[in-house]
Amino acid sequence: MAKFRLPRNSRVRVGKAHPVPQGSARRTRFKIYRHDPDSGAGPRLDTFEVDRDTCGEMVLDALITIKDDMDSTLVFRRSCREGVCGSCAMNIDGVNTLACTKPLDDISGDVRVYPLPHMRVIRDLVTDISHVYGQLASVKPWLRSQSAAPEARERLQSPDEREKLDGLYECILCFCCQTACPSYWWNSETFPGPAVLLQAYRWVADSRDEAGDERIAELDGADELFRCRTIVNCTNACPKGLNPARAIAEAKKRAAQSHR
Amino acid sequence: MSTAQPDGEAGAARPLSPHLQVYRPQITSVLSIAHRLTGALLSIGIACLVAWLVAAAAGPESFAAAREIAGSWPGLVLLFIWSLCLVYHLLNGIRHMVWDTGRGLELTPVRVSGWAVVGGTVLLTALAWVLGAMVAG
Repeated sequence: MAKFRLPRNSRVRVGKAHPVPQGSARRTRFKIYRHDPDSGAGPRLDTFEVDRDTCGEMVLDALITIKDDMDSTLVFRRSCREGVCGSCAMNIDGVNTLACTKPLDDISGDVRVYPLPHMRVIRDLVTDISHVYGQLASVKPWLRSQSAAPEARERLQSPDEREKLDGLYECILCFCCQTACPSYWWNSETFPGPAVLLQAYRWVADSRDEAGDERIAELDGADELFRCRTIVNCTNACPKGLNPARAIAEAKKRAAQSHR
Repeated sequence: MSTAQPDGEAGAARPLSPHLQVYRPQITSVLSIAHRLTGALLSIGIACLVAWLVAAAAGPESFAAAREIAGSWPGLVLLFIWSLCLVYHLLNGIRHMVWDTGRGLELTPVRVSGWAVVGGTVLLTALAWVLGAMVAG
């Protein structure tokens, strides 16, 4: 049975309100989830006011401004700042997305920033994604083939075969979709989740891969592929515009055909 | 620097990040939970439908009693809720069947078909009750 309430040690208290910057005409208030594992006090929600005239356009710019100017203890992952690396995935304004590609102007009212949902929090906005990585490794996301590789050249694909990978190979593993999925929230121990299933299907759809049937057989089951209830929160969250829901539907079709 | 640890002792002590508490309701998730809720309510409704059939089979007195319960205000309210559930669950079920063929899963069709199901539910439920009232005189 799904647990809808947060465990006692996870409930969010009201945190610190940081001073308002002086002399700024255009300000935005941020409410940011904080957790310091060393304090023993549990998570809290801190308030910051950011001067928009001295800050960049994106949520990540504001987080960096806060870390630089107001509270250097704020911890978050970031790297490329252009939607390529997937590090700064978090829950912003109630929806999972990348802080670096989310414009502040898209958000009305206070900007609420939480870590990716239903994950173990290491510190502030940093969650433990090792379990998801383990699930990803379990679907063997690499080319598997028995046939001998062609002599002194790569395994070729026709343009049509290559086109089948569009919308699948671009995944940056930010796990916005994974942690937007209620089925994953309630069944993360057994359900691979949308990001991992999309990666699995990326290899099923690859003309060079020869383990498609095996891959589908490994995912076929009420707790795996069919734990997806086609809620489509995944596709609704993907910051790269990919469609895990459709990839899972295609994988389900393959599984159903294999039962004939 | 924090290193990621397996979900053992340290993992259990780590707080769980908010989920339902903070995730903005999406047309996708709201219609999904509505599908489950209407399905659950319909399974109660089907038991009442069976009771009504049993009453009809048992004889005129019991059928008259069943009619009286169904025609009372609380009975009519329940019937209205169940009719709404039936129409919603049916229409959204068709939506799910189309999805299972791999079609209609792009974001725009998902949103359009979602709102179509909501609109269709209101329309068809109203139509059923208007026709019912006309037939009943």
